[in-house]
Amino acid sequence: MGVKTVEDQIAELVAQVAALEAASGGGSVTNTMFAETFYYLTIPLMIIIHAGFLAYEMGASRLKNVLSSGVKNILAFAFMIPTFYFFGWWVYWGFPTGIPGAPGPAGISGIEYANAIAWGWGESAQYMGPNIADNASGVFFGAFALFAATTASIMSGAVIERIQTVGFIILAVVLGSFAWVVAAAWGWHADGWLVTKWGVHDFGAAGLVHAVAGFFALGVLINLGPRIGKFNADGTANHIAGHNMPLTVVGLMLIIVGFWGFLMACVIVPGEGWSWFGDKFSTIYGTPITLSALSFNILMAVAGGIIGAWLMTRDPFWMMSGALAGIISTASGLDIYFPALTFIIAFSAGLILKMCADWLENRGIDDAVGAVTVHGTIGLYGVIMLGIWGSGFPALQGAAGEVPTINFIGQVVGAIVFFLCGFVPGYVVSYILKMFDMLRVREGAELAGMDAVKVPADGYPEWSGTPAE
Amino acid sequence: MFPYEEASWSVVDGPMYMLANTSAPGVFTLIAAIICVVVLIAGQRTETEKAKRFDK
Repeated sequence: MGVKTVEDQIAELVAQVAALEAASGGGSVTNTMFAETFYYLTIPLMIIIHAGFLAYEMGASRLKNVLSSGVKNILAFAFMIPTFYFFGWWVYWGFPTGIPGAPGPAGISGIEYANAIAWGWGESAQYMGPNIADNASGVFFGAFALFAATTASIMSGAVIERIQTVGFIILAVVLGSFAWVVAAAWGWHADGWLVTKWGVHDFGAAGLVHAVAGFFALGVLINLGPRIGKFNADGTANHIAGHNMPLTVVGLMLIIVGFWGFLMACVIVPGEGWSWFGDKFSTIYGTPITLSALSFNILMAVAGGIIGAWLMTRDPFWMMSGALAGIISTASGLDIYFPALTFIIAFSAGLILKMCADWLENRGIDDAVGAVTVHGTIGLYGVIMLGIWGSGFPALQGAAGEVPTINFIGQVVGAIVFFLCGFVPGYVVSYILKMFDMLRVREGAELAGMDAVKVPADGYPEWSGTPAE
Repeated sequence: MFPYEEASWSVVDGPMYMLANTSAPGVFTLIAAIICVVVLIAGQRTETEKAKRFDK
């Protein structure tokens, strides 16, 4: 072997640098493709949530209403996607700092920014359709659209067996493409005023998805009224059993499956336009998270909620609702809870679940599936619990002293805002629909069964009557 | 509750859960385990009582 000349050595070094640059570029491409695939996979997982809600509320319906409950839920999904595309996505990016939509410090918010990326026309249309240079917008939009569909599904179960189809769809659109989106912009965005001013932290959307949807449903239920036969003249309540408890319980379990996708989609991964880091996961606030943290805590939350509800009720419906309550009660801090603490909080949520539902029922509210309690009350419980246990944790990525920290008062303020974001539009819009006779079906139709009125098919042909024409 | 002196995530390179590096996680684990045992005892008692009602 001859001695390498300086020229040879330089050429070798140049080749090595080129190889390193190629490897670096390849890594970046891999990261982008990973991010795109990651969010893409959350979408079918979250559709399982919708399948779960579908089974759950059809099972909770009586035989005469089973298909109409399903049709309502399916339509909610169908209308949620385009309306979220038309304007919901724009609302999320436009208003994190509040009204009138000024830009925030992170530079990814405000009316001008939303106009540039979230309308399906003009220059911004390039980010709202197939684009070889944009691997992020579609999958991120898809994940958010499925969050929107989840809120509508939460409300859907509460109002079964007496609501008009079109009135329900209008309510679903207001909830899924506006009300929760406002809450998300304010409390689930790096520029959200609840985050930057109050240190609100709601990683898994206990407040901004679940509580908003639960209390939106409460506002609707007040105007909708109870099902015929639910309450006696003296105000005592009757239990109206659904036609298929096993279907309901399996539906609830499917929702738990879908929750893995939901919470996975709450993680910001490296490699897309809005990533906080090039080499690690973060929450939507830029604070650290790992999928291992989620794995530990979701499993412990499901277990704690089931055990708490089993102790109090022995009822499989409430046990699986307890599983949901376990996740929701800890969702705000699934990134930073210790698993055993998660279990304890989820257990406490399972314990109080049925009592909270009974309290509401004793006030004349007919929530057919306990959605107000499971998602609304327990959602706020979760937001406030994090204020107790997580105080002092930085709520945003940044240097000490420059970023807000999680605190009890901030979480209470967040809980109040989330409550109002749900309850006020739910009550007002359902009140208007009631004025126009678009909210509740006529008494005769309710007594006959809504399948006979709305659905030209039979759920169980051997058992039921003639379908609608 | 933040387990590090400086309230910034940039100083965190290990455990990031509440009350890390204290005895609290162990206490939480013990409480969780006790809850499981107590619930099983309560469940056994009430189920036995209800089952006895069906004795002839």
